[in-house]
Amino acid sequence: MAGILATERTVSGRAGQLAPLAMTLGIMLLVVATLIAGGFLLRATVSKAFNDAERIRLARTHVAMMFAQQLNEETGLRGYAVVRLPIMLEPYYGGRANLPLYFRRVRADLTKLDIPSTLTALRDAGRTNYRWVHEIAFPIIRSRARHTTLELRGKVYVDRFRADTNAIDRALAARTVAVNTRAQGALLWIGGFAVAAVVAVILAATVFTIQQYRLGIRLEHERTAYETEKRIADILQDAFGERLLPSLPSVGFSATYVPATEQAKIGGDWYDALQLSEDRVLVAIGDVTGHGIDAVVAMNKARQLLIGYALIDATPAGVLERVNVDLVRGKSPLITAICGIINTRTREFAYACAGHPPPVVVEPQGHAKLLDFGSLPLGVAVKTDYHTSRVQLLPGAMLVLYTDGLIEHSRDLALGEAALLEAAEAVAALAAPDPAAEIRDRIFRDRKVSDDVAILTVRFAENSAGATSTRRIA
Amino acid sequence: MSESNLVKTVRLSGELEIGRKDEIRRALAASTDGAPVLLDLSDVTYADSIALTELLRFCAEAERESRPVALVIQTPQFARLIQYAGLATVFKVFEHPTDALAYLTERLRQ
Repeated sequence: MAGILATERTVSGRAGQLAPLAMTLGIMLLVVATLIAGGFLLRATVSKAFNDAERIRLARTHVAMMFAQQLNEETGLRGYAVVRLPIMLEPYYGGRANLPLYFRRVRADLTKLDIPSTLTALRDAGRTNYRWVHEIAFPIIRSRARHTTLELRGKVYVDRFRADTNAIDRALAARTVAVNTRAQGALLWIGGFAVAAVVAVILAATVFTIQQYRLGIRLEHERTAYETEKRIADILQDAFGERLLPSLPSVGFSATYVPATEQAKIGGDWYDALQLSEDRVLVAIGDVTGHGIDAVVAMNKARQLLIGYALIDATPAGVLERVNVDLVRGKSPLITAICGIINTRTREFAYACAGHPPPVVVEPQGHAKLLDFGSLPLGVAVKTDYHTSRVQLLPGAMLVLYTDGLIEHSRDLALGEAALLEAAEAVAALAAPDPAAEIRDRIFRDRKVSDDVAILTVRFAENSAGATSTRRIA
Repeated sequence: MSESNLVKTVRLSGELEIGRKDEIRRALAASTDGAPVLLDLSDVTYADSIALTELLRFCAEAERESRPVALVIQTPQFARLIQYAGLATVFKVFEHPTDALAYLTERLRQ
């Protein structure tokens, strides 16, 4: 449990520390993206303004040409009216021939520019010119005498035509001013965006650098704190962890503790084997949910409580219930544990399990099996029932108690259990002097120790008879 | 509202690890309004000690409040972990959500 918890601290800590950096980068990217998008929009605005300005310039040229054609018509007719020479009509005919072309061009320009008032003026100019040609020019050309009245009426039409063309030109000039204003505004915005982009990048870089600096300091502090805590936890674990195992003629004990490596920290795994009376031995193993000093302190409290209650309560379930009440009231972290009492004379193993992986028994014939297990871990709820199971072991049988790090290396408990049973059978067959260490070596030969592991084995001498059976009592 | 609608369903999936502690807490905290809880863990394949602690404490709290809780567990790996943690000895565990819902609606009628 401890190893996993240690990893949590590392992961969540890094994530928390990197969050401001990631946020800064994100904001910077967002600002830059916004600026780029804004730049493209403004560029499009400026481009349209330039296009419109060019179109207006062309339209004004066409209006001027239209005006010039009408002027040719008018001056040609006026000269003819005075001298009556057909040659004087040449400008008139030239103007008449070209005027429709420029009318069309101006209409196309104004339609593209979408200035409704100019189109109205253009239509009016067209109608005025039509009336001038048919009501004034034709009668004057057909008549041999001078028609002063007609010429005066013609002047009214001409003035009207010129007023219309002037109105069109003024509207185009006004549009030119508007387009230029828009283009200037867009150019100002582009300049502003460029400045904003530079400022944003400088700000983001500054914030990023400051945060990186702070992160470095914080990581250094955390590393120092981690090393300090680990050193203290190591000392506590050494102080609390080492217990002398009983030395009895009929039962052999072996134990090992494997601390998690690398980032993981010292945790709260422990084992105990303590002779309570002449033929009663307490065997216990446990695992505190947590790591570091807190876990080691909680472990020490739990094991002292367990030993203390084992001295006054004969049943493992009773012991765990008493320990549990104390731990819940003391707001302890969750603890999984097995409390067992071995009768060295009868070879009965009575035990109770609190959320802990099941004990393993290797029969003298070499077959290994998992024993019963169940009930909640210690420290969850005051009203928790634990059950004492009783196993009659055969001479030569071996009992293996362990913590979850021994079987959770692959996250598949079935695989972990299979590997443990296989290792236990092999070790029992070897009659190794230190079975706990042998099991540890076999399990972790090709696997990384990702969590703390405690192993406690109990082996009965092969000099008495009996039967193996399990009974469970409430 | 039908009785099944009165049951609060909390669904978690994948590997429940310390990195997801806050997510697990939030999911469980969302169901503390007194309604029976169907804890659908059908797709959970693993839970570390932190996640198990959260589940255990949640279930124990519900037990104290006499609020029915039913767990749905389908993957064998996670079922074994739950057996280790003793959850199956204290709380109702089902293989199918429909069975869990039936149990909780029955509890509602009582």
